[in-house]
Parts: sequence; C-alpha cells; structure tokens
Amino acid sequence: MKITHLAAAVTAAIALAVTGCSPVAPADEPAQGDGPTTVTVRLWDQQVAAAYEKSFAEFERRNPDITVKLNVVPYSNYFTQLPLDVSSGTVDDVFWVNTTYFGAFADSGRLIDVGKELADLVPGFVPAAVEQYTRNSTLWGVPALTDGRIALYYNKAMVAEADVDPNNLTWHPTDPAADTFLPAARRLTKDSAGRTADQPDFDPKSIVQYGFNAGRDLQAIYYNFVGSNGGRFQDEDDAFVFANPQAEQAFTYLVGLINTAHVAPPAADTNSNGDFSRDQFIQGKMALFQSGTYNLKNIADGARFEWGIAPMIAGPVGRVSVVNSVIAAGHEASPRREAALRVLRWLGSQEGARFVGAEGAALPAVTAAQQAFYDYWHSRGVDTRFFGPEGGTLTIPAPSGPKYGAADAAMEPIFNEIFAGRIAVGPGLQEAQDAANAAVR
Amino acid sequence: MTAVLRSRLGVLASHLALLAGAALTLAPFLLSVLTSLTSPQQFAAEGPLSWPDPVTGANYAQLFTRYEFVTPVVVTAQVVLVILVGQLVFSVFAAYAFARLEFPGRDALFWVYLATLMVPQAVTIIPLYSMMTAVGLRNTFWALVLPYLFGSPYAVFLLREHFRGIPGELIDAARLDGCGTLRILRHVVVPVSKPILTTLAVITVVTHWNNFLWPLVITAGPQWRVITVATAGLQSQYNGNWTVVTAATTLAVAPLLVLFLVFQRNVVRSITITGFR
Amino acid sequence: MRGWRGRTATAYLLLAPSLFGVAVFLVLPILVVLWLALHRWDILTPSTFVGLANVVEVARDGRFLHSLVVTAVFVAFTIPAQTVLGLAAALLINRGLRGSAIYQVVLVLPWICAPLALGVVWRWILAPTDGALNTLLGTRIEWLADPALALPSVAAVSVWTQVGYVALFFVAGLRAIPPAVHEAAVLDGAGPWQRFWRITLPLLRPTTFFVLVTGVIASFQTFDAVYALTPKGGPQLSTDVVAGRIYYEAFESRAVGNAAVMALGLFVVLVVVTVVQQRWFARRTTYDLST
Repeated sequence: MKITHLAAAVTAAIALAVTGCSPVAPADEPAQGDGPTTVTVRLWDQQVAAAYEKSFAEFERRNPDITVKLNVVPYSNYFTQLPLDVSSGTVDDVFWVNTTYFGAFADSGRLIDVGKELADLVPGFVPAAVEQYTRNSTLWGVPALTDGRIALYYNKAMVAEADVDPNNLTWHPTDPAADTFLPAARRLTKDSAGRTADQPDFDPKSIVQYGFNAGRDLQAIYYNFVGSNGGRFQDEDDAFVFANPQAEQAFTYLVGLINTAHVAPPAADTNSNGDFSRDQFIQGKMALFQSGTYNLKNIADGARFEWGIAPMIAGPVGRVSVVNSVIAAGHEASPRREAALRVLRWLGSQEGARFVGAEGAALPAVTAAQQAFYDYWHSRGVDTRFFGPEGGTLTIPAPSGPKYGAADAAMEPIFNEIFAGRIAVGPGLQEAQDAANAAVR
Repeated sequence: MTAVLRSRLGVLASHLALLAGAALTLAPFLLSVLTSLTSPQQFAAEGPLSWPDPVTGANYAQLFTRYEFVTPVVVTAQVVLVILVGQLVFSVFAAYAFARLEFPGRDALFWVYLATLMVPQAVTIIPLYSMMTAVGLRNTFWALVLPYLFGSPYAVFLLREHFRGIPGELIDAARLDGCGTLRILRHVVVPVSKPILTTLAVITVVTHWNNFLWPLVITAGPQWRVITVATAGLQSQYNGNWTVVTAATTLAVAPLLVLFLVFQRNVVRSITITGFR
Repeated sequence: MRGWRGRTATAYLLLAPSLFGVAVFLVLPILVVLWLALHRWDILTPSTFVGLANVVEVARDGRFLHSLVVTAVFVAFTIPAQTVLGLAAALLINRGLRGSAIYQVVLVLPWICAPLALGVVWRWILAPTDGALNTLLGTRIEWLADPALALPSVAAVSVWTQVGYVALFFVAGLRAIPPAVHEAAVLDGAGPWQRFWRITLPLLRPTTFFVLVTGVIASFQTFDAVYALTPKGGPQLSTDVVAGRIYYEAFESRAVGNAAVMALGLFVVLVVVTVVQQRWFARRTTYDLST
C-alpha cells in the first residue's frame, strides 16, 4: 500500500521534472523546425523593459519566426551574475553591458562583433557611445541608451518655501563666499519641529526633510563632484588616480554634507540601499535630488507634487558631468546567433529604438530616435533640456577598463566607510585607490 | 511569605517569561505580515508600525503578476518533491545494505560515509559549481537536484541505526516466505520505520525548501529561480519597498509554517529523535 | 554458501545510487577543490597552474584570517547565548504549566523558516530610518551599519532563530531524568538552586554536549542570514563570516583558486574543532542517556 503511494509519487515527480519543466519557457532548447525561435534579452531597467515589451511586440509582428523574451535582473546583482552566466554559456542571447565588463567579455571572444556584423548601422549611433564601447578598433554592442548629462531634480514647493533658486547653485571646497549651495541645502533641510539646518537648535536626529542626496553614488554624485573640482578618477591607461587633492576636497565636501551639515541622509541608509534617496525624493522628503535620465520616469510616475529639473550643481571649474551609455551585446556562442543578430539590428534601428524614447523610459543612443524622448517629455510638460548641452558641456570620463568590476568591488567597502565618516577622507581614498589598482592588476 | 504564595508567584513569573519569549518570537512574523498587507503609500506616510488601513492584497497581487513569483514557488516545489523521493528511496536502500547485509568492503565504505558527514557545504560548493558548469548543466533542473538526489550520508547513518534495531526474526520470516530484498524492504522494513521516515521526510523538505547558496550559484535567470533566490533578488532590487518585500518573505516561510503546524507533534518528536539517534 | 555472492551483488545494487552520489557529489569535489586550489581561474578565461601561489596570497591578504576571527567571535557570542536561553526556556516549559506545548511550538517557528527570508525580515526591522525597531524605540541606531553593532546584531538574530530548537533538546533531556532522582534530593533537603546545579545540569551533560557540538559546527558555516542582513561582509567587513568570504571570493571577485584555498582552510578548522570537542566530550561524559 505504502509502496504503491511511493511509486506513484516517484512517477509523478519524474514526470513533472522531465516534462513539466519550469513554468517559464525554457530558453536553452534549440529551435525546433516549426515554431518560432525564442531569443532572450537581459537588462536591468524596469522602465526600459516596459518599453522593450512594446518594441518587441512590433518586432515579432514583422518577424513571425522569432519571439523575444525579456529577463530583468536587478542591477545590484547584475554584474555578479553576468560573468558567471557568460562563462557557463547560460547567458541570454542579447544582454546589456556597461563599461565595467564589456572589455573582459570582448577580449575573451564572448561578444558578437557588432562593428562588423551591423556595420551599416554604426553611423546612426550616438558618437560618444560608439567611442565608449569601441575596443580593438571595433564596436562590441548596439548602443541601447545614453544617460545624457546629470541634472538636478527639485521639489518646487520646498525650494519656493526656502527661497532657493535651484538653477544657480555652486559648491566650493574652500571659499565659503563662493559656496551658494551649502547655505541653500541647509535651508532646505528640516527637523520634525520644523527647524531648518541653519538654525542653532536644529536636531539632526529627527530630520523629516533632507536638502540633498549626497552619498556613495558614482554616476550622480561623486564622479561629478570630483570632475567639477578639476579632479580625475582614472588616467588615460585606466589606472586609478583619485587620491589627489582635488578629489579629496570633493569627497571631504560630500562627507561634510552628510555628517557635519546633516543636509543629506546618513550613509547607513544610502550605502546599503542605492535607491534610498530617490525614494525619499519621490515621497516628498527630499528637496534636491541630483540624478540622470534613468530616474526621470520613476520620478514622473511616482511624485505626487510639483517638481522641476535644473542644471547639475556647479563646482569651481563649472558643471562637469559623467556621461554614460549602455550597450546591448550579443552572445557570440548563442545557438540562435542569427536570430539574436536580427534582434540587435532592430534595437539599433530608428524604429526599434524609438519605443525606448517614446515611452520616456530612457534616451535612446540611436541619434534619429532621440527626438521621440524629447517629444514624450515635452508632451508631459517636463523640460529635459538640462540633460543635454544646455546643462553644460564639460565631462569627466566614464569608468573604463576590462576589470573595472573587480576594482569597484574592492573600492566599495572603503567608500562606504568614507561616507559614513568612519575613516578620514585622505587615507581612505589612498586605501581605496591602492585596493582598486591591486584588483585590476 | 507562604509556600503557596511563593509557588503561585513562581508560576506567574514562568508564564510571564514564556509569554515574553513567545511574543519576541512571533513579533517579527506578525510585523511582516501586517506590513505586507499595508499599501506602499500608507507605509511611506506612516512608517513601519502602522496598522494596515485599508487592508490590501495588492502587494501579493504584484508579487505574482509583476514580479513573477509563481515560477519560484512551482520550481521550489518540484525540486523539493524530486529530492524528497530520491533521498528517501536511495537512503533506505543504502541503509538497509549497511545495516542488514554482509558484504566485503562494508565497514570501509561506511567509514567513508561517516567521514563525508564532516565536509561542509562551503567546501563543496565551488568544485560542484565548476563540475556542473563543465558538463553544461548550469541553470538546469538537474543541477538543482542532482547533488542531493542520491541520498545523504546523514540519512543513511540515521536509518542504519534504526534498521539495526528491527528484530531479525521479522526479516528472516519474510525471507522464509520467499520474499526478495525489495519485498522485504517494502513489506517489513518500511512499515516498521514509519516514524523515522516521517522525520527524514520533514527534515528533507525543510532543508531543501530553505536551500539558498547552491541555487544562488547554479541557476541564472527566472527559469529555475527558487523561492529563496527570488526573495533575495526582490530585496536587492526593491530595497526600500518593504511592503512587497515582506509579502515575499511571508510567502517564502508560510508553506513551511503551515506544514509545521499540521505536523508539529511529529516534528517536535522527530527533531529530538534524530538528535539522540 | 549459495547466497554469499548473490547477497554481495544485492548489497552493491542497493548501495549503487547512494555510492554514486557520495562519490560524485562529496568525494570528487574534495579532489576538485584541491586541484582548483593549485590553479588560478577567473571563470571567464581558462585556468592556469600556479602551484602554492594561491596559498601564499590568501595568507598574505589577511582577509581570510580576519573572516576566521569574525566567525570565531560570532560562534563565541551565539553558542553560549542560545544554549543558556534554550536551557532556560526548556526549564520553564518543563514545569508543565498550562500551554507549555504551545510555547514549545511557537519558539521553534523561526528554526523552520528559511534563514535567508528571516534575514530579509530582520534587515527591515533593523533598518536605520524606516525600520520597525528604531520606530518602536524612537531611536536612530544603525544596528547593521555601525561596525561595532553589526556583528552583535547579526548574532542576536541567529540566536533568535536557534533558541527554540535548542530548547527542544533540553526538554527531551529533562524528561529523560527520572523523577526519583529529584524526589530523593528533595528528601535530602536540597533547594531548587542546589538541585539545578548538582543534579539537573550534570544529568543534562549529554544533551548539552550534543547541542554544543552541532551548534558550533552549524555556526561556523553560517551564511544565508548574514548574506541577507549585511551583504558583502558588512561595515568594515565586521560581519565577514568565513562562508561568506569564500562565496564572495569565488563568485564576486572570481578568484576561484583563492576561494578553494579558503574552503580547504575552513575544512581543516572544522575538523580540528570537531576533534577537540569529541575529545572533550569523551573525557567529560561518564555515562550516556542514549540507547
């Protein structure tokens, strides 16, 4: 009796395992003679994923022999997971890569040579993106989006109440008279009793409204502060050189915003949760939020108050922004390489890339498709010009080097401590720089 | 103070202490269930200790629709089921051979089994990863179950001790009736070992429902994502969205809690049995 | 004599699946990890033989040693705490008050649940700004971000999950003590404290040892909850337990050779700890309650 149950269970289990499979359609199976080929696309951005759904619906209509499935992997795990999946061949046919890994992948022959296979499309891509992802004189992916310049989101009611003009804020590491930003941030920070951070009895332990989002945020904060103080992060051959006086001043200023002036959330919150400040801003608990186009849709959909976009905060040498692009790369060893190439071609075409802009999800890196992005936001009454040249023209080079990922992993814990104020900025930067350089050797 | 009063006070104090312990144990569960029933807007506005008003199932609905939590639940159930059956069957086989059969090499082999009990998971995870990857099994169902499918030395050890206690006459009588080994296992050994097999089944289900590290490294993407990996991923992606995250954790622990409450007498007894082997 | 060879064949047939499993998934990995320890491999590119260079690197780097120290501190905190609290809970439960069985079940609940999921829950409870505990206390303590508090916090969560489980064993141990022993002691005029120290505790020794041995081994390998509470080793690597260090080294830094060396190091440490405990156990235990 018992055994019959057991036998039944075994049979059921094996049947389930062999035939039932995962409720998600298996991606590894080679295309059958009939039925469409499934190409999978991996990315980290939910907003763009929504736009891709529409884009690929159109693609599938035109290419009935291919279905496209999206695989959204959280950004925080994305670059831990990706090398493992690339090496074991279990990566998706098309996947997003940023600067941190594409070099290593390209060098080990894992990526489809887009510069060769889709040569006719290359002139249509944003030149900065092509330049960022060209290695060994060819392009290693279809530029999927470009983040544009960093800008400053602000809560209109809050800046009006504090009488701050967000369009004209300048920070300065040594000259208080030239520093218009810190006094503004102080007036924009409030405790639970309504006192602002420039009042003597302000209680930093009960802050209900933060002035600014200083924290360990590479793209939106510290690269730009270093750049706008005339500092560098990496030199031409990708070595880390951020233990320099300009960078030290910039970091010291940022750490001061958090731990001395108390105008930014504690590092304990922002170190462990990269979205903490964005969520605070969206919930109406932060006045100024410096970020990029990648948060535009989140803010536009989430904020229940009047907000605006100003140019990024200027430093002693002006407004210096990091400008980053992302590529969609093809998996060279994919059994569906030809189908994957057709998907890449679609993403690199004006029609395919248009959806990303038309949904307002991100700024496409296909030049002809960019207008859709501006049109979308214009129609929603959002002024996006400060993400472009009107927000400044100076840039600091984006992270680069085939082993940037390893360096970042080595730097991150030390930066956490710097922002938490637990190690001094100077020795901390030196330690982080040594660790980063050791990691890329 | 009279002795009666003192013992009454003692009883009261014991009750209070136990009550405090129970409250401390339950509070995190209750808090996360309450939060999972709160709307994100209310949570943002009123903080973590507010009573859900109105009670909403939206977080769970989101979990299943937007975050595709159906797959992890199904995959985890499949993995647990297959491992459960494999472990029970193969461990019974092996334990019976060690306990009741004489064959050359028995003691040496059993010693090897005992020795492998000492090998920690942290040691085998890296070589297993490279082995699975080398044979192209990464991110397959088999990669999830194979390392555990053939029984565990621990289960063999446990069952062997138990099988040795089965009276020899029972088995001899069956053999005289012309039963082969499989029929002896089926009609004699398994029926008299129901409690220990239940125990093993419970331990296996709990262990593999909760398994995290191996699925984390050996799977990629949504196809074979198990519930612990899905929960960890959700937490890191929606860091501050505690209403959805607590819905996920609630979902991850609820099936085992229900299982436990149904079988709690069995489980409580069996945990101590296995401890005192 | 007819059956001898047949019985050997039967035995090996029965053993075959399990033997296959042990050989391929437990013994072979030990050999593979030894091989990996002698090679440099970043998962992406082919491995190269480097001899003992990984050992030298791991020894010089210091993070492995640091993680062993962190783990030892973690064990030193959790084991006494969960043992004492577990024993206290068992003594209370064993008084036979109304509802004892319910208390026992409630206390075991955390042990049943996935440590990862509980880690996530506690990460929220202990979050600095919107966490439940700080809201309740009206404080802003950085439980998991302050290097001085992170390890104690993580250890406390671990103790929370284990107390009920430990108590189960003590309850069973207490029930195994014949009532006559206590009655005799009462007749001799021994007070409750005296009875606890002189009778209950010594008679519980086998239980205590079992709980300690299994607890220490499990604590040394703790990973899931720590990963969920304080990813990447926590502030200033203050919660960088050894199982986590091995994971990060292998799968985030992709220094697989170094991770293999660390894994072997952990193995050696565990064997030593186990042998020492067994010796102690053998010397101190004069009788055995198990049958």
